Amino acid sequence: MAKITIDPVTRIEGHLRIDAEVAGGRVTKAWSSGQMFRGIERILQGRDPREAWLFTQRFCGVCTTVHAIASVRAVENALHLEVPLNAQYIRNLIVAAHAMHDHIVHFYQLSALDWVDVVSALKADPAKTSQLAESLSPWPHNSRMELKAVQDKLKGFVEAGQLGPFTNGYWGHPAMKLPPEVNLLAVSHYLQALEYQRKVNQIVAILGSKTPNIQNLAVGGVANAINLDNDSTLNMTKLYAIKDRLDEVSTFIEQVYFPDVCAVAAMYPDWLSYGAGVTNYLSVPDLPLDTKGAAFDFPGGTIMGGDLKTVHEIKSFDEPYFRENVSESIAHAWYDGDWARHPFDEDTEPKYSKFDDEGKYSWVKAPRFQGKPMQVGPLAQVLVGVALGHEPTVRWAKKTLATAGTVAGVTLGPEVLHSTLGRHAARMIRTGVISELAKKHWGLLVENIGKGNTDIFNQPTFPSGEQRGFGFHEAPRGTLSHWIVIRDAKIHNYQAVVPSTWNAGPRDEKAQPGPYEASLVGNPVADPELPLELLRTVHSFDPCLACAVHTMDPDGTEIAKVKVL
Amino acid sequence: MDIRVLGLGNVLMGDDGFGPFVIEALKAGYEFPPNVSVIDIGTPGLDLAPFLIGADAIIVVDTVRADGPGGAIRLYRREQILKHAPGLRLGPHDPGFKQALLTLEFAEMGPSQILLVGAIPALTVPTPFLSRPLRNAVPVAVHEVIEELDRLGSPARAKRGVIDVNPWWERAA
Repeated sequence: MAKITIDPVTRIEGHLRIDAEVAGGRVTKAWSSGQMFRGIERILQGRDPREAWLFTQRFCGVCTTVHAIASVRAVENALHLEVPLNAQYIRNLIVAAHAMHDHIVHFYQLSALDWVDVVSALKADPAKTSQLAESLSPWPHNSRMELKAVQDKLKGFVEAGQLGPFTNGYWGHPAMKLPPEVNLLAVSHYLQALEYQRKVNQIVAILGSKTPNIQNLAVGGVANAINLDNDSTLNMTKLYAIKDRLDEVSTFIEQVYFPDVCAVAAMYPDWLSYGAGVTNYLSVPDLPLDTKGAAFDFPGGTIMGGDLKTVHEIKSFDEPYFRENVSESIAHAWYDGDWARHPFDEDTEPKYSKFDDEGKYSWVKAPRFQGKPMQVGPLAQVLVGVALGHEPTVRWAKKTLATAGTVAGVTLGPEVLHSTLGRHAARMIRTGVISELAKKHWGLLVENIGKGNTDIFNQPTFPSGEQRGFGFHEAPRGTLSHWIVIRDAKIHNYQAVVPSTWNAGPRDEKAQPGPYEASLVGNPVADPELPLELLRTVHSFDPCLACAVHTMDPDGTEIAKVKVL
Repeated sequence: MDIRVLGLGNVLMGDDGFGPFVIEALKAGYEFPPNVSVIDIGTPGLDLAPFLIGADAIIVVDTVRADGPGGAIRLYRREQILKHAPGLRLGPHDPGFKQALLTLEFAEMGPSQILLVGAIPALTVPTPFLSRPLRNAVPVAVHEVIEELDRLGSPARAKRGVIDVNPWWERAA
C-alpha cells in the first residue's frame, strides 16, 4: 500500500492538503485538510453591520463579490429589510457575470490541463482539427489558419525549452487520452477564453467598479444612481454596453465551452463513473425576482442519497428548513473542543496539534445539514433544478447528455452526472443557464427603469437589542451562507460557511467523510508519483485555492511537484 | 501608453495588505495622468490576467519572500520575475501573478514593461493593520512607483498640503 500526500509548498501559502491510501491501483481511503487558519471573521466583531460586506469581500480575492452579496443579505435578513427591484436586478447581473467569468476560468485555465495534453497538440494536423471543430460548432475562430498559428506559437515555446504557463503539467501521462487534434483545439480555446474573461469582467466593472472588489453595494440596495440623461450614472449607453457583452459571452459559452465539455466527457467515459462521493446535495435559490426574496429565477433545495425524488425545495431568503438545519462539527478540526453547533452559536478558538488522521487534521470545520455531509456546487444546483423541473436547466442538461452521447456513440442518462466529469458538465450547464437568465434580468432592469422606477436603496434602521440573520448565495462553488448576530447596532458574532468548507471539510463526530474525501475513494492511480487522477477529482470541485503543492512520500521527502489550482 | 499601478495583497492579513495600502497612499498624495490607472486589486490569483490585458506597462506593489529584514524593499524587472520569480507571500495570489503573466505572454497579450516593488513582510496574521516596519516602508515604495512613472514619461503630480492616509480597513471598529 502506498500513501500519497499532496501538500502545499509552504505552510503559509498552502490551503489544501490531500492524503490518500492506494492499494491495487485504487484509492481506498482519503483525507482532505485545510492547512491555513483563517479566523478572519473575528475582525468583524464590534463593527457596524453596514460595513461588514466591505470586509467580507476581502476574505478571498477570487470570490470577492460573493462574500459581499451574502453579507448584505444576512444583515437585511436580520432587519427584515426589503430591497428595491432595481437593486435586486443590478445585484443579479453582477452575480451572473461573476459566475460566468469564474466558470470559464475554471474550465480553461484551472482544470482543462488535467485532461488536455498540450505537448501532444504539436502532432495535430491543423486542417483535420479545423474540420473536427466545424463538425461540432459554428464558432468562426476554428479555422485552419488560426489553429496553425497557435500550434506554431506552442512549437516556439517548446523549442525554446520552456512551456510558459504549461510548465509542470503531466504531459505524456498514461491517463491522457485525447487525440492530438482535440488537444490543439483545446489549447486554442484556452487562449481565446482569456478575451471572454475580460469581456465578462467589464460587466462587473460597469456596474461594480474597475477593481475585482465591487464598490456599489449597500445594506438595503445598491449605490448605482439611475438617471438615463446623466453620463455619470447608470444610463442607456452603459446598459447597452452590458447587453453587448452578455451577447458575446453567451455565444462563446454556446459555441465553445459547451462543445468542448461534451467532447472531453465523450472521450473520457470512465470519468463519468468515478468520483461521485457524497450524493447528498445542497443548493440555495438565487437571482431573486421580488423585493423580499420569496421568488427566484434559479431554484434551490436538497437531494438525499442521489435520489432526485427526495428533492426538498428551499423557497425563500427566510427559509426555516435552511436556517434550522445547518451545523458545523469540529471533532476532526483544529479548534478547542469537539462540538457540533449551529453557526449562530459557534466560536472560533484555534487549537493546533499535529496532523492525526484518526484525530484532528484540518483547519476546515465540517458543515452538516441535518447531521449529514452534503455536496455543494453546480452539480447540486443542476440536479435540484432537474428534480424540480426548472425548464432551462432541464433543457441544457438534456442537450449536454445528448451531444456527449452522440460523440461517444452511447446513450447517457442523468445518472452519469454523479461523477468527476459530471461536475464539469454541470458547471457548463449552469453557465449556459445563467447566460440566458442574465439577459432576462437585463431586460427586467431596463423594463423597470422604463416604467419610471429609479429606486435603488431602502434605508436600514437598527433597533436596540439583539437581531439574528442569515444570508445565502448560490456562488460559483456552491452554497455560501453568512450568519450574523447584531447587538445594539454592532456585530456581536459573524460566521461564514463557505462552499469549499462543505466540500473540502474533514470527517465529523460520526466519522462521516466530507465530499472530497468520499469522492477520491475508488479513483484509479496509475502512478503514485504522478497522481493526476487525484487532481482530476479534486479539481472537479473547483477548490477556491490557488496553491502550488508538491507530492511528498511518507517520510517527508519531496518527490514531485504538482499543482492543485 | 496604458500604464497600470496595481496593489496586490489581502488587507485583512496584516503586512500582506502592503500593496493596497501603498495604493491608498498614492491616491491620497498624487494626481495621475489619464493613461495611468491606480488600482487596489486584492488577491485575485489567476483572475489577475484580465486586468493585465491591454496594458503597455505595469507597476505591481506586493509583499515578497526574500532575504532581508521586514520592511526592506526589493525591485524586480520582467525578466527576473518570469525566470526567477520571488515567492510572493500568502497563497491566493501565488502562483497567480507569475502564472497570469506567463499565460498572457503565451497569448501575446502581456505588458512589455514590468516593475515589481516588493516589500519583505514582518507579520502576516489576521489583522487589518500593517506592522511598524511595513508602515515605514510605504513612502519608500511610493517613491519607487513615482520614479518609474517619471521614467515611463507619465509623471504624477504631488498634491499640496498635509497628506492623510486613512484606508477604510484601518478605521476603528
